[in-house]
Amino acid sequence: MTFQRLKSHLPWITLLVLVAVVGAVDPTFLRPVNLLGLAGDIVPLFIMALGLTFAIYIGGIDLSAQSMANMITVMASLYLSSLGLWVAPLCIAVGFLLGTVSGYFTTRQFVPSFISTLAVGGVCFSMAQWLSGNRALNMDATQRDALFGWMIGRTGIIPNELFIAVGLLAICLFIERRTTLGRALKAVGAGELAAAASGLNVGRFKILAFAISGALAAVAGLLFSVKLSGGAPTIANGFLLPAIVAVLVGGTPLTGGVGGVLNTAIGTLIVAVIRSSMLYFGIEATQQQMVFGLVLIVAIALTIDRSKLRLVK
Amino acid sequence: MAKRLLTYENAVRWAPLLVLLALMLLFTAINPAFLTERNLARIAIAAAPALMVAVGVTFIIIMGSIDLSMEGSISLTAVLFCFAFVQFGGTLAAGAWLAVPLILLAGAGIGLVNGLVHVRLRIPSFMASLAIGFVCTGAAILVTGGDIVKIDDDVFRALLTWRILGFPLMVYVAALGVVVAWVILSHTRFGRHLYAVGGGEELAHASGVNVGRVRLVGFVLAGLFYAVAAILQVAKLGQAESVTGANFMFLSITSTVVGGVALWGGIGGAWNTLVGVLIVFVINNGMVVIGLPDYVQNGMLGVLVIIAVILSTDRRSISFVK
Repeated sequence: MTFQRLKSHLPWITLLVLVAVVGAVDPTFLRPVNLLGLAGDIVPLFIMALGLTFAIYIGGIDLSAQSMANMITVMASLYLSSLGLWVAPLCIAVGFLLGTVSGYFTTRQFVPSFISTLAVGGVCFSMAQWLSGNRALNMDATQRDALFGWMIGRTGIIPNELFIAVGLLAICLFIERRTTLGRALKAVGAGELAAAASGLNVGRFKILAFAISGALAAVAGLLFSVKLSGGAPTIANGFLLPAIVAVLVGGTPLTGGVGGVLNTAIGTLIVAVIRSSMLYFGIEATQQQMVFGLVLIVAIALTIDRSKLRLVK
Repeated sequence: MAKRLLTYENAVRWAPLLVLLALMLLFTAINPAFLTERNLARIAIAAAPALMVAVGVTFIIIMGSIDLSMEGSISLTAVLFCFAFVQFGGTLAAGAWLAVPLILLAGAGIGLVNGLVHVRLRIPSFMASLAIGFVCTGAAILVTGGDIVKIDDDVFRALLTWRILGFPLMVYVAALGVVVAWVILSHTRFGRHLYAVGGGEELAHASGVNVGRVRLVGFVLAGLFYAVAAILQVAKLGQAESVTGANFMFLSITSTVVGGVALWGGIGGAWNTLVGVLIVFVINNGMVVIGLPDYVQNGMLGVLVIIAVILSTDRRSISFVK
C-alpha cells in the first residue's frame, strides 16, 4: 500500500492510535462516560470547525469565525430576554448575512478571503464591544433553562450537545453529498477555473460557502453562550486555532477539493483527544497553544496538495 | 505641457498622501486642537511601534506573500527583551544594552523559522505565519506564566520621555527605521529582487533570482523590524506580557495596504507604509478628538482595508482569488 492510498485513511488511524495510547497510560480515559463527556465538551468548537470546512473546502479560509462567535454570544445574552426563542434565528441570520458579506468581497471584489474575513471579523469585534458596552453579560438563568435548557444537560449518559452535533453533521453531510451545492463546492475546490469554464456560477456557490461558514460560527457562538449562560466580546478567543487544526488534521487540505465534513468530525475528535492527553501527560494548559500551532504546521505540510500550487505565496 | 499631470498612475501614487492631508484638514476644521504639537506628538507616539510592524510586513507584502505572525512574534520578543534586560542588570548603563542586539537576533530568528516553514515545507505564507504566530504567543505565555514583566530604567525610558522638538526619541528611532527600509527597498540589489519576486515570481526565477533565498531574507528582515517594534512598545508601556502584540496584525496590514502597497506584490514602498500608518492613526486620533468611542476602531479598520484592496486591485489581470 503506497503512502498516497494510505493518506486518506490517516485521520481515523491517528485517532485510534491516540485513543489507544492515552487509554494504555490511563485506563479510566476509556470509560464511556469520560469519552462521551469529552466529545460533548468539544461540540461548540466542532460546530465552528464544521462551518470552516466549507470555506477551506473551496480553497479559502474564514478567519472571522472566532469574532463571529464572540459577537453572537453578546447578541444572544442581550436579546434573550426580549426575543425569547427568536434569538436563535436572529443569530443564525446575522452569521449567514456577515458570511455573505465576506463571500461577496472575496468573489465579486477580488479581496482574498483571509483579508475579507479578517475585516469582517474586525467589524464583528467592534459590534460586540458596542453592544456589550465592553463588559461581560449574563443570561437570565431561568429563562435560559426554559428556552435552551434542552441544548445542555444529559440524556442518560449522553450529553445533549452531541445530538445537536450529530444533527448538524447530518445536515452538512447531506449538503455535501446529495445536493447540487455540494457537488458545485467540490468542483470549485478541485479546480475553480475548470468549474467556471463548465458553466458553473462559481461566485454564487462560493458566497454560499462563506455564508454557511458564518451561520455555523453563529450556531457555535449561540451554543457556547447557552453553555456559559452569558457572553463577552472576547469570550470565544482561543477557538480559531483548534478549529482550523480540526479541519486540517481531519484531512481537508488548505488547497480544498477533498476531505469534507465527516473528516472534520474525526479531526475534532483528534483535537479533543490531544487536549485531554496533554492533561494526562502533565502538559499545562498554557502550553496547549504552542502544541496546536506545531500540530497545525505538520498537518498542513502533510495534507496540502502541492500540485495545485504552481507558486507558493 | 508635454506630460499630463492627471494620469491614472499619478492618481494612484498620490492618492494616499492626498487622503492623509484631507483628513488632517477635516479634523482640524472640526476641532482646532487636532493640529497642536501635543496632539501630533500623541499621534506619533501611538504610531511609532505600529509603524515598525507595518514596515516589516511591507517587505513581505511587496514580494506577494503575507505575514500574520506579528502578534505572537512581538509578544514573545517583548517578553524576552524584558527578561534579558532585567537579567543583564536592569539598567542600560549596567550592561542591559546587551538585551537590544540579543532581541534583534531573536526577532530575526523567528522570521527565519517563518521563512523556512513557508519556503522549505512549501506552505502558503498566510497559514505558515499564522501557525508560527500561535506558537510564539504560546511561548510567550509559557515563559511569563501569564505574569507581567516590568522594566524600570530611566535611561531606557528616555525613548519615551526625552523629547527633541516636541517629539520623543522613539519617534526618531521609528523614522530612522523607515529610512533604512527605504534604502533597502530602493537602493539595494536585494530590494530590487523583492520587487522582482512580487511582480512575477516565474520571471524573477527565470532571470536568475534565487527566489527561495529572497523570500527567506524578506522574512528575516520582517522579524527584525517586529523586534524593533517590540522594543519601542516596551519603551512606551514600561512592561511586557503575553498580549503585548495583540491587535498589531490587523493594524499593520491595514495600514500598509491603505498606504498603497498592493496585496498582490511588486508595488509600493516604505513611504507608502509611512503614509498608510499615519492615515490610520490620524483617523483613530481624530475620532477620539471628535468624541467617538474607541471601539469603533476595529470596524473602521475592516472597512478601510477592504476599500483599499478593492481600489488597488487591477481587475483585468486576475481571474479569481481564494
